[in-house]
Amino acid sequence: MNNRLKVLRAERGWSQQDLAGRIGVSRQSVNAIETGKYDPSLPLAFRIADVFEMPIEAIFLRD
Amino acid sequence: MTASGRSARGPAFWGGLFCVSMVLIGAARIFDAIDATTGFVAMAVVAGVCMPQAYRAATSAARRAGDSSDALQAYNKRMLAASLGYVVGLGMATLVYERVRLDTPGLALLALLPAAPTLAMIRAMARYLLDETDEYLRYRTLLSSVIGLGFVLTLGSFWGFLETFGVVPHVWAWWVVPVFGVGMGLGQCGIAARGR
Repeated sequence: MNNRLKVLRAERGWSQQDLAGRIGVSRQSVNAIETGKYDPSLPLAFRIADVFEMPIEAIFLRD
Repeated sequence: MTASGRSARGPAFWGGLFCVSMVLIGAARIFDAIDATTGFVAMAVVAGVCMPQAYRAATSAARRAGDSSDALQAYNKRMLAASLGYVVGLGMATLVYERVRLDTPGLALLALLPAAPTLAMIRAMARYLLDETDEYLRYRTLLSSVIGLGFVLTLGSFWGFLETFGVVPHVWAWWVVPVFGVGMGLGQCGIAARGR
């Protein structure tokens, strides 16, 4: 699964640590999701979508 | 070595030093280069120096990088206490066994000295998996546990067959715990390196 996390984060001027704090996970988690090494669970994907105020499908894309 | 020099060293240094020292002491003991007392004292010194330092360095590095969690810190503390208990229990059991003549129930109780901290390690891992709210950190711990288990099963089977064929000397089964720990540590390092 691909995602636009890095671009969306950059648009808002947030560091990985900033985003991690907003969704309540470690910076490592944000890095692993951003680089496609880990696909988040549905509840975490919803939390990420809430933080960016976007629908999940606008952030996470099929391969 | 200065205090500042010590604190500048990362968890990989202390973890590596611990693993290498334990392997060297274990090899020396297996091939009868040292007796049990010397082996225990050496292991206790290595564990007493390296494990708290590795814990402090790992906690401090993880805090700085924002890579820690409350559950992970609690887990590290519990594992550190259980690991030190294991080393002390192992040494005491070995020393008492060599110096005191015990009957079978007494020997069974003596064997519980290092076995009880092992149970505490498993409990710490279970508590961590229940307490951790960060799903990626939980996934990493589960994956590294499987890698540690793979080390124990593969190395144990390989060594067992080598022993059956008369190639290597007998190794006591309690070595599974350090081998599991080393495998789990290597697994964590591999996952962290892959994530960079």
